[in-house]
Amino acid sequence: MKPGLTYQPGKSFLHRLHPLVKFAWLVGLTGLVFLVKDPAVNLTAAVLLAAVFPLLGISFSSLRGFRLLVSTAVLIGLLQVLFTGEGAELLTVGPVRVTDQGVLRGVYLASRFLTVVFASYTFVLTTDPGELAYALMQTGLPYRWGFTLVTALRLVPIFEGEMLTVYRAQLARGAAYDRSSVKELFGSLRGLLLPMLVSAVGRVDALAVSMEGRCFGRYPDRTYFRVHRTGQADWLALIGLVGLILAGVYWTL
Amino acid sequence: MIRVRDFTYRYRGAGQAALRGVDLEIARGEFVLLTGPSGCGKSTLALALAGFLFSQYDGEPSGVIQFDGQDVQDIPIYEHADRVGLIQQNPENQFVTLAVEDEIVFGLENRRWPREKMEARLAWSLQAVGCEHLRHRKINTLSGGEKQKIALAAVLAFEPELIIFDEPTSSLDPTATREIFELILELQQTSGLTLLVIEHKLDFLRRVNPRQAVMKAGEILTQDRQAIPDESLDLHPPEGPGDRSPALISLEEVSVELGKEQVLRGISLEIRPGELISLLGPNGSGKTTLLLTVMGLLEPVSGKVSFSGLEAGSSRTSDLARQIGLVFQSPDHQLFASSVWEEAVFAPRRFGMSETEFTDRTLKLLEKAGLEGRLEDHPYRLSYGQKRRLNLISVLSYQPAVLLLDEIFIGQDRDNASFLLQLLVDFVNRGGSVIMVNHNPDYYPLVSTRLLYLDGGALLVDALLEKGMDEISRLGRSEYLPGGRL
Repeated sequence: MKPGLTYQPGKSFLHRLHPLVKFAWLVGLTGLVFLVKDPAVNLTAAVLLAAVFPLLGISFSSLRGFRLLVSTAVLIGLLQVLFTGEGAELLTVGPVRVTDQGVLRGVYLASRFLTVVFASYTFVLTTDPGELAYALMQTGLPYRWGFTLVTALRLVPIFEGEMLTVYRAQLARGAAYDRSSVKELFGSLRGLLLPMLVSAVGRVDALAVSMEGRCFGRYPDRTYFRVHRTGQADWLALIGLVGLILAGVYWTL
Repeated sequence: MIRVRDFTYRYRGAGQAALRGVDLEIARGEFVLLTGPSGCGKSTLALALAGFLFSQYDGEPSGVIQFDGQDVQDIPIYEHADRVGLIQQNPENQFVTLAVEDEIVFGLENRRWPREKMEARLAWSLQAVGCEHLRHRKINTLSGGEKQKIALAAVLAFEPELIIFDEPTSSLDPTATREIFELILELQQTSGLTLLVIEHKLDFLRRVNPRQAVMKAGEILTQDRQAIPDESLDLHPPEGPGDRSPALISLEEVSVELGKEQVLRGISLEIRPGELISLLGPNGSGKTTLLLTVMGLLEPVSGKVSFSGLEAGSSRTSDLARQIGLVFQSPDHQLFASSVWEEAVFAPRRFGMSETEFTDRTLKLLEKAGLEGRLEDHPYRLSYGQKRRLNLISVLSYQPAVLLLDEIFIGQDRDNASFLLQLLVDFVNRGGSVIMVNHNPDYYPLVSTRLLYLDGGALLVDALLEKGMDEISRLGRSEYLPGGRL
């Protein structure tokens, strides 16, 4: 089974960057690819970001959902190529007329999509979600919101594992997921959700006791043990991002 | 320190009171053991002493609980939390953060401690539980025993005066259980802390012979210093398989991988009718994976699993399920129907059996389990022990040839465990086979015909009971054997 789209611990340059700097890059890049409507620029961005994965030692085939997203990008591109009528004709196959505008638009939209996907993957794979939450709290996010994120991150894999157990328990008692009709599947799903709900209530009760027992919510603010220091590399990365955004704005003017 | 006087508590909507006229006193520095059957109110009493019963739950309390002369109901929960720490059953449920450091300082950060002070306390807490080496680890990479030690360190960090342990070892293997008990005993001897320990595994505490408060049906029956009774269950193992009976299940050089990790390594074994096999081994040794592989829920990367001579790979899980019953660890994960009766007959109906085929048998089993008056109730309204009985009956109702049981005795008191074990012995005496993952050395020697011991995915012991126990002893795993613990 492929690993989920989760943080992969490491010591690369990207791993060491401040989580909020990486977050700023993700937001900045996403904004830029929508601002700069140039196929060449977007394609370059997508290719450069794709090159980051081998540098991180992560193969594309090991990422869950990656193939589906790349296929979606190809489909987006193909639809533009097939259904854009404007521009000089490059090729005609039966009723389909391929134009230069269609190809450029296809490349632009597909690479824009891929840039956002690659940037998001890079961010998620190299950013410890706990560190991100703590960094956000130390930057002003109310700590109750921050810990909503942290506890969700803790509980999601636990619920995922429980769901698998309940599913297996049902299979073992003759629920034929492996050959049921749609109607039977809906019936079985009901049986899947009830144990999950009961379990979730129990876990939330235990967690509430654990948090209250350690004075969570006692004061309107709290201190933090973790220190997120901003290093030279972080400042350089931020300057680079600002430069890139300015260049993007200049390009579009 | 603690004085409970005529304390009664009824949860909102509950028919009966969970606690009835409880009287209890605990002196500073004392070590008290709280025991009693599952569902008798031990955890409710723990929640009351820690104050959470009044801050987190709706209910009707009467009587008094005092901490150093102050009524606990009048003390703001955050103030009370400074003095009382509660360690719950499942460490997984009480972690808030994702990393060991964050978890231990969590309570200190909430109390707005400065960083330097936290640094010193973090180091002290980790040292107190002997886990300095875990400081930079993520919670999800810890073993069950390590998690429980970190949960304890997180409570020790704010130096409470009383620590309540609510069955802290129920989900741990014998090795981790021994480590946790050693830690508790060391704390008691060296720190002067007041400790209240709720436990079923009394054998581990025999050496210290603490004062025992014994509960039943919401009441405290006795609270004297008395020797922990050495009561054996009245059970007899099945006769075992005949020499010539053919194998029901056979595994040949089976290896299984989960992700990139090899969880089972070249397992070969045969299971015959009439065998009651106990499968032992540390947490993470591959026991559950082995059961899931036999059931066809996991596919081996190499080797062959066959059932009655047919290779498992050629059968669907839903077909194998008719012959092999599987019961998991948590009762709540396997209750799907809207009433006790519907739950008990869920599987035989799914398998297309006629009502006459299973109705009598199922009714008799439910009667034996004391559930005959609860047939229309929702399964979630049953007690923990009753749910577990229903889980087993829901599988016995269609009479599979083999039962695979994954730690079904966790959290069960002796009476309930004895009932379940007798059902298994009866099942095997009628020609069935059982493989049960069960660590409790009080139980498995009474009923098993054969032992398997897995470690690191490899089958290190596969022998008849007595010989198997000798081999486990030679492996230096005495904590898995009766009397071989603290």
